[in-house]
Amino acid sequence: MGIEEKLPEGILTTSLEALVNWSRQNSTWPLLFGLACCAIEMIASGTPRHDIARYGSELFRASPRQADLMIVSGRVSNKMAPVVKRLYDQMLEPKWVIAMGICASAGGPFNNYAIIQGVDKIIPVDVYIPGCPPRPEALLYGLDKLREKQGQERFTDYTRDYARKELAKYQAIQALTPRKAGR
Amino acid sequence: MSPLNVSPKRREYEVLPSLNVPGIPAVAPLPSGETEDTRRIVERFGQDILAAGLHNGLQTVIVKPERLVELAQFIKDEPKLAYETIIDVSSVDRLELPIPQGEPRFQTVYQFRSYRRKKHLMVISPTQGDDDHPRAPSLTSVFRGATWPEREVYDLMGITFDGHPDLRRILMPAHWPYHPLQKQIPLGGEEVPFSLTWDDPEFETLGTQILPAESVKPTLPPGMNRRHMIINMGPHHPSTHGVLRLVVELDGERVVKVDPDLGYLHSGFEKTGENKRYKDFVYYTDRMDYLSAMNNNLGYVLTVEAMLGVEIPERAQVIRVIMGELQRIASHLLWLATHALDVSGTGMSLLMYATRERELILDLFELVCGARLTTSYIRIGGVWRDVPDIFLDRVRQFIQAFPGRLAEYEAMLTESPVWRERLEGIGVISREDALNMGLTGPMLRGSGVDWDLRRDMPYSGYENYDFVVPVSQRGDSYGRYLVRMEEMRQSVRILEQAVANLPDGPYKTNDRKVALPPRPELDLSMEALIHHFKLVTEGIHVPPGMYYHGIEASKGELGYFIYSDGSGRPYRLHVRGPSFNNLYALDHMCRGAMLSDVVTNIGSVDIVLGEVDR
Repeated sequence: MGIEEKLPEGILTTSLEALVNWSRQNSTWPLLFGLACCAIEMIASGTPRHDIARYGSELFRASPRQADLMIVSGRVSNKMAPVVKRLYDQMLEPKWVIAMGICASAGGPFNNYAIIQGVDKIIPVDVYIPGCPPRPEALLYGLDKLREKQGQERFTDYTRDYARKELAKYQAIQALTPRKAGR
Repeated sequence: MSPLNVSPKRREYEVLPSLNVPGIPAVAPLPSGETEDTRRIVERFGQDILAAGLHNGLQTVIVKPERLVELAQFIKDEPKLAYETIIDVSSVDRLELPIPQGEPRFQTVYQFRSYRRKKHLMVISPTQGDDDHPRAPSLTSVFRGATWPEREVYDLMGITFDGHPDLRRILMPAHWPYHPLQKQIPLGGEEVPFSLTWDDPEFETLGTQILPAESVKPTLPPGMNRRHMIINMGPHHPSTHGVLRLVVELDGERVVKVDPDLGYLHSGFEKTGENKRYKDFVYYTDRMDYLSAMNNNLGYVLTVEAMLGVEIPERAQVIRVIMGELQRIASHLLWLATHALDVSGTGMSLLMYATRERELILDLFELVCGARLTTSYIRIGGVWRDVPDIFLDRVRQFIQAFPGRLAEYEAMLTESPVWRERLEGIGVISREDALNMGLTGPMLRGSGVDWDLRRDMPYSGYENYDFVVPVSQRGDSYGRYLVRMEEMRQSVRILEQAVANLPDGPYKTNDRKVALPPRPELDLSMEALIHHFKLVTEGIHVPPGMYYHGIEASKGELGYFIYSDGSGRPYRLHVRGPSFNNLYALDHMCRGAMLSDVVTNIGSVDIVLGEVDR
């Protein structure tokens, strides 16, 4: 049935979408970026016992421009929030965010003047991991959940999203650009 | 800049008359009696000493602010006193206390230490000026180590220090509208919306706490010259071990000046602690220095226990020592791993090896309390639970395996030419500078000062253990490396003795005013039930007074200063984080070095930003 019958052995067919999603799922590079206690557990998940390399995520990139995934590992203070936002903006699409631990998810025990009550106030979050701090296993489970999400992504969503964002950017620039005199 | 909307109102539960404030808040009693040191000081300063003597067993002097600098100079220079270093500067806002009419609202509190004479001195001074603009003389001309702590007091409490060379905010963003530790300022934060619909108007308040971006725009620190190259490291930088921002002024590749910009992880621990009951703050201490949670627990509970005057059973003390030393090894291992990762070619492999051993220690913690990092195992009055039977065997296995592994790491590093090249002669601190800057822990011992709180001011029964305090006369990063490696060995020695001599008996105090009664007793005894009820609803009552206690944590002296007004919550809680004071030395270490040595020096100081920023 279909083209598979005509093909020689060892060749599979799939949709481009599935292929791209599959490759993204298996090489999500996180940003090398730690905030507080959870960052230590994030390091622990990279070490031999937990071995995040099994998920293709062992390559923590120091530059946001090379990273796909931001793991917000810890409490975000008022002073840090603009920095986190800028780092997120510098990452290239497609990008994902994991809020690791209760502080990044909702402020945790620090409901006070200094801490932002959840990083989702400044950047969109894909997966929330509870715990204080979550164990490395929990982080790996969170990664698994993210893989599920990545597997369901559609190109059409991207293009629509992308077009919408580009249009908004264009309009914002237009609004900000001062018109030259005499025009 | 638009005005910041940080929870303008006190939340309802903050103004409700709470269950845990019995009676009228009381000020700390004045110190009484006299010691040799306070007698000398009173002889010299006469009427300008408002009170002197012992307070909760601490030598305490209350001095008029006019003569504070003179007093600091005197106790430093007088050979019979020889208080060589300043440990801490903190402050108290007595707004809610019944202070006598005419007394100023703020006090500054100083901790001095004589390493030679093994003495500690607390100096308290009321502020000058009116209550809205308190001022205090700066001690930076006498002790350089006061520079950052005074900046912190200015930032959080709003006390201006006259004569301070560089008085600006250190933790909060530069344009922050108020000084958060003042008592009229609410804790802040956001209402927790108990609703699940997004249409709820409560959600309108969300996000109002976030600063506009321009308010944290990096500025050029004062004294830096644009003719040199200014390089910004961090707050997102792989080798700053967290969210530290360094502004580095470079002449070619030589460092002219380094200005650390802190506060990217400021979490308001002190203010939060003042709004929690005593036992509830134990859980917060874990999250300060999250690499040595057990030591943080220990420092806090020892302070509260000393104020309460409770006796801790022998078994609990030995368990605490075991946990503290395991934690010291775990913390040093992560320091070694990250330091090697930054500096040496063998980096990644050492990270893998060192975390292997660290995981074994975390397993042990998990065995006793279920948590790996944030243990909260050491509680006021003892420990949370007794250790399981299997625990001691597992510790013995670890003790047996660990020294061999440590030797492997040393074989990889100690004589390695790359390692020596990167560390030797880098970040040199002389003995005098180390004392003057108020450094503690391995930073102090690496500069040739033979001091360890465990040996010289023992707590938790450390006087019963036989161990050597490693000291290096080198003063450079290599010396500090040697000190930390030897400390791990000595920790193993302490562990061996502790495991061999773990006595039987209760694991927490029998004092019903401090520790909960055992569960079976509740079914039988009305009295136990009453104690249980009082402890759960009101918490522990600490008698009015103040106390400072420091312990030797893995990074240096971790001190807690508590001012109690007799209620169930600390009136003022201040933490002296060793990383904070040690990081002050970074500028001193880096001047004249190459840019790549800045990374070596950061690793060599061994900081944890959770504790630096608090």
